[in-house]
Amino acid sequence: MSLALPSRRDEAWKYSDLARALSGHDLSSVAPARGGSVIASMARAFAEEERVLTIASRDGVHAVEHSLSHEARGAVTRIHVPALQAGMVVETIYGHLNLAAGLSEIRIEEGGALTRIVIQQDAQKAVSAEEIAQVALNEARVSVAAGGTFRQFVIAEGAKLARIETHVALDGEGGEVELNGVYMVREGRHADLTSTVTHQAANARTKQLIKGVARKGGRGVFQGRIVVPRGAQGTDARQYHRAILLEDGAEIDAKPELEIYADDVSCAHGNAIGALDADQLFYARARGIPEAEARALLIEAFLIEAIPEDLPQRDDLITRVQRWLQT
Amino acid sequence: MLELKDFRVSVGGAEIIKGVNLIAPSGEVHAIMGPNGSGKSTLSYALAGREGYEASGVAKLDGQDLLALAPEERAHKGLFLSFQYPVELAGVPALTFLKAAFNAQRKGRGEKEMAAPEFLKLVRSKAEALKMPQEMLKRGLNAGFSGGEKKRMEALQLSLFQPKLAILDETDSGLDIDALKIVADAVNATRAPDRTMLVITHYQRLLDFIKPDRVHVLARGRIAASGGPELALELERSGYDRYLEAA
Repeated sequence: MSLALPSRRDEAWKYSDLARALSGHDLSSVAPARGGSVIASMARAFAEEERVLTIASRDGVHAVEHSLSHEARGAVTRIHVPALQAGMVVETIYGHLNLAAGLSEIRIEEGGALTRIVIQQDAQKAVSAEEIAQVALNEARVSVAAGGTFRQFVIAEGAKLARIETHVALDGEGGEVELNGVYMVREGRHADLTSTVTHQAANARTKQLIKGVARKGGRGVFQGRIVVPRGAQGTDARQYHRAILLEDGAEIDAKPELEIYADDVSCAHGNAIGALDADQLFYARARGIPEAEARALLIEAFLIEAIPEDLPQRDDLITRVQRWLQT
Repeated sequence: MLELKDFRVSVGGAEIIKGVNLIAPSGEVHAIMGPNGSGKSTLSYALAGREGYEASGVAKLDGQDLLALAPEERAHKGLFLSFQYPVELAGVPALTFLKAAFNAQRKGRGEKEMAAPEFLKLVRSKAEALKMPQEMLKRGLNAGFSGGEKKRMEALQLSLFQPKLAILDETDSGLDIDALKIVADAVNATRAPDRTMLVITHYQRLLDFIKPDRVHVLARGRIAASGGPELALELERSGYDRYLEAA
């Protein structure tokens, strides 16, 4: 049995037509993984080995940073955070492969903490909209035990199709999740940030702030789902998506979903897609800042709000945003 | 010197400023007073070059035609508009913004940009004069600032940029009396022989603190009367009705 690729008719892939993006690719070697998603199936089929990473804090206190680069077509990584340990993983998805699929299975035990940064890069060389061929797929399945923390920050520049999926299950009481991200897409690029968080236990918290910008011919997608079942009392969940269409002919699709079945919860969400603020732009220009520079300044300020202040890589991530704005 | 001749402004096809003639020489402070809807803010936005404000006629600053220039170019030529409602730029630290604007103006005039340490010293001394805590410079520009703090930030920029023409649009709105005195002191301190100031206000109150050389009454898009400082006092007593009826 070969893999059936989802197309726009599949609800989860409504805005990202994988079948179309992969037409012409020979996927006959990919068997559908049992109980796994299409991304997981590809990652397993292409991966030569499974990487295992156990997180241990230095001196029992400091988070140790691990780098994982997705330079092969497939990568499967198991990340284990034992109780009370803390660590950090930086995953970089490079733009040189025509198809890359990555799967990270993350288990955070009681009181453990993991910060995950995902950097999805556009092709290193300038590639025109017609030439861009890369399909970059990444999926993380995360379980968080009681008192555990999972923080994630994704920065995506898009590809022919780039999809970063994150699925988190808050299995124990008092778990915390932060799922922030930024996407910025130019002509011919498509970036899709899709996530689900399921509050299986009570008194857990989710915070999500995703910001995106799209230029003419670029497409951004945000799908975020937070599920709060009946037993998950005391849940605190906030989800915000804000995006700017920088030019005519840019497209952004958003599907925020908050499903709440418990009654003692505090939840909020917001979704706003608009243009660059004309008042702000005029103010900056009236103070002498030329239009192009003023726009870059405002877009940068808009995007970096999603990068948490205490993230050690904040400056590097800001530099990436600035570099994107300059090209 | 600011020179307006048959200056007209339309917004969305409707003429708001209907032929204003005005000469405000360097070294002078001119007040433009008028009721709500008389076109005061339209006048200031149009002079600063805001999109959507179709201006015609003559508007010259020291002989230079303003109307052909983009907003940033007008700033480079020395035009400064103090906004009635300054915008909030949450993600841009005030200091970053001030430095970008200051050096963009210098660059636009073909001058050398100022290095960071020197600039920091300059801003700090100006902020001190305005009794602004240094901490305000590190925060996002105007982000979460009170009305008074925002106006102080505008006054800081006025004293930093040293413009040839300063247009102060309703600088007194949102200010309590203490904040008003601080901002007025800053404005008075920037009076100079090579600088024209246009103080736009609804109320006479501000003019107790910033003494104008000339007062013009704007009613229904035209200058209905001009006179000395006594005109402002007369308006305070008898209101704008007389001018609205005549206009």
